[in-house]
Amino acid sequence: MKKRKLIALLLAGAMALGLAACGGGGDTTQTPAGGETTPAGTETGAGGETETKTVKVGLICIGDENDQGYTYNFIRGKDAVTEKLAAKGINIDWQIKWNIGEDSSCEEANIELAEEGCQLIINNSFGFEPFMLKVAPDYPEIEFIACTNQASWCDDLDNTHNAFANIYEGRYLAGVAAGMKMQEMIDNGEITAEQAVIGYVGAYSFAEVISGFTAYYLGAKSVCPSVTMKVQFVGSWSDATEEGNAAQALCDAGCIMISQHSDNTTPATAAQNAGVFHTGYNNDMISVAPESSLISTRIDWSVYFEYAIEAVANGEEFDQDWCHGMDEGAVVMTELNEDIAAEGTAEKLAEVEEQIRSGALQVFDTSTFTVEGAELTTCMALDTDGDFVADSEEAVFDGAFHESYFQSAPYFTVEIDGIEWLNSAFG
Amino acid sequence: MHDPHSPLIRLAKRDAMPRGQVWAIRGASFVAAFLISALIFLLMGHSPVEAYGTMISGSLGKPTAIRQTVRIAIPLLGTALAIAPCFKMRFWNIGAEGQITAGAVGASYFALFWADKLPGPALLVVMAIAGAICGGLWGLVPAFFKAKWGTNETLFTLMMNYIMIGVVKWLQGGPWEGRPGSQIIPQFDSAAVLPKVLGVHCGWIIVLIMTVAMFVYMKYTKQGYEIAVIGESENTARYAGMNVGRIIMRTMFLSGAMAGLVGFIVASGADNTLHSGVAAGVGFTAITVAWLAQLNPFAMIAISMLLGILEKGADTLQTRLEVPASISDIITGIFLFCMLGCEFFINYRLILRGGHKEVAKQ
Repeated sequence: MKKRKLIALLLAGAMALGLAACGGGGDTTQTPAGGETTPAGTETGAGGETETKTVKVGLICIGDENDQGYTYNFIRGKDAVTEKLAAKGINIDWQIKWNIGEDSSCEEANIELAEEGCQLIINNSFGFEPFMLKVAPDYPEIEFIACTNQASWCDDLDNTHNAFANIYEGRYLAGVAAGMKMQEMIDNGEITAEQAVIGYVGAYSFAEVISGFTAYYLGAKSVCPSVTMKVQFVGSWSDATEEGNAAQALCDAGCIMISQHSDNTTPATAAQNAGVFHTGYNNDMISVAPESSLISTRIDWSVYFEYAIEAVANGEEFDQDWCHGMDEGAVVMTELNEDIAAEGTAEKLAEVEEQIRSGALQVFDTSTFTVEGAELTTCMALDTDGDFVADSEEAVFDGAFHESYFQSAPYFTVEIDGIEWLNSAFG
Repeated sequence: MHDPHSPLIRLAKRDAMPRGQVWAIRGASFVAAFLISALIFLLMGHSPVEAYGTMISGSLGKPTAIRQTVRIAIPLLGTALAIAPCFKMRFWNIGAEGQITAGAVGASYFALFWADKLPGPALLVVMAIAGAICGGLWGLVPAFFKAKWGTNETLFTLMMNYIMIGVVKWLQGGPWEGRPGSQIIPQFDSAAVLPKVLGVHCGWIIVLIMTVAMFVYMKYTKQGYEIAVIGESENTARYAGMNVGRIIMRTMFLSGAMAGLVGFIVASGADNTLHSGVAAGVGFTAITVAWLAQLNPFAMIAISMLLGILEKGADTLQTRLEVPASISDIITGIFLFCMLGCEFFINYRLILRGGHKEVAKQ
């Protein structure tokens, strides 16, 4: 008897709690909604320049900041732009979804953020785009961005955008730093000219990766003519163990300089353990490999975020396909490790950076490399019929291959002489 | 006084409990889950009332939210139905994950390569049949080994999951890859996409039909009866002249075929493509659904919706209150733990040392 009473009491309590929860639910949904609908007012309030505007921005991430690489780099961009725009009187209300997969959960995340009243939704991973495109038509008043992908120019939607940065420029500079180090070692008699071999840990044999390591190689070659390169693909954008193993295998194969297009710092530590040098990506890796890591390059996403979010705050349109590099500071170099870098590296980097910025130097200058012994004279950039073979827009003109010129996503997939692919099983 | 060797706490099987009491225990466990989760919210610095309110409004507050919740529940329900006959037979099929994936592969083959050769509705039917056959065959393999050589079906079905997921990874990076190097299979042609009914892909209708069919099959057919007899006692079944091996294989083919159908629904209706995570853990979560529903098909509808609400609600929680994603997982875990745990107390009772005279005497 007593037991039954107690249970009845508990059940009653549960129901009361449930009711309270429902009641509370009503309140909580209304408050933020009420707060967030004000930006609509700011769009119309063209006269009030001084008033603070609030933009609700959704960000969908494939990882979280713990990766210390790809997503972490977006978070840095997010924090930087929040500060920059606050100074301009624009507040950003971020709604972030972490660890979303490249599947229908991405579609759900886009719907959820749209329903929460975001005015701009940023998808940070390549594979998010197809799922974003299923949601975008239902919310024409919301702007959708798919970073690093490429459908916005052909999807017939006005509210979809792509963005990328000319990371190959940064890779070229990292290559210059690596090349100078190797040339210095050759000049000092530490290695022979033939021993100047770079080992590159790549994620997949994908345009973005191929474009990156080719730029890196050309940068190194510009200051160390005898350099060659071996590329090992790991078949994952982020697999700390495999990346470390690949770097180790490259060191064993005689590489004396390691670089990477993958998300973790294990190639840097593997390089340090093997006593060779390293240049990184996404993040400054000097702290994990102080005796090995020369320099890193990364995209500063805050440049694009500022451009896009400010446009949304002011009710203006913005480019559907955005790609800039060092010209706008969207690609930056991390600090140079002066203790181990070759002498004069800083000055040389500054000089080359200025040439890239001014357009005097083309990274993919066709006079600097050959394909099967011959100069590259023609190469298409875009695939218009969906068969994944580029068929239109000649990318080679004015003596250079123009990367990220016709669309923001990289399309350089040529295998040039001097770079040996150890595997391409992931292509 | 009492036997010093008897343990402090002992378990004893309960006799059948009155229905009212059973439900009271279930209610109490739900309340317990509610309170423990509330404690977690408090520790995180959020009001539990606000948190629960967010979960409910996030999962059921708007038509779009309800649709999303239903989308989560569809594969859960379908897969729980698929594994129910196996579990009834006491054949531990934990390979639904692989059978879903196998079904998705079969359906995707036709979606990718036959979209221009078959008219729309026919294409979908062919995809569904291909999905069911592939899933069924994938389920048949461990059943065959079990029937012929008595292999352990738990390990066998589990391992088969990883093989199939590996196959899809290979397809993704190899023969079916879209843009070179992307590791992504292209989106299906619109003809290969399940049409929407009331804003949700019509997989929900398919799984509801499956629910009724499974209920009838288990309750009113000879095959359903055979499954129940084998579940109670294999020897009895043998004595009654049933071909146990054949029934095991037949049931596993059926189970795999239904999971394969779910694979088709997910690939065609939700993802519109094939990827290695197509099953997304549904094959395992569905085991929970099936158990909580005590293998009753209609109860599975409620349980899978409840899990859908928990998942979608937890998702909204993450967005609105900015709690880490792992907190949402913890809340879901607490609810499942309490709800499954209470079944234990319904079936067993705890006996403290010397607490029960009658038992102490034994």
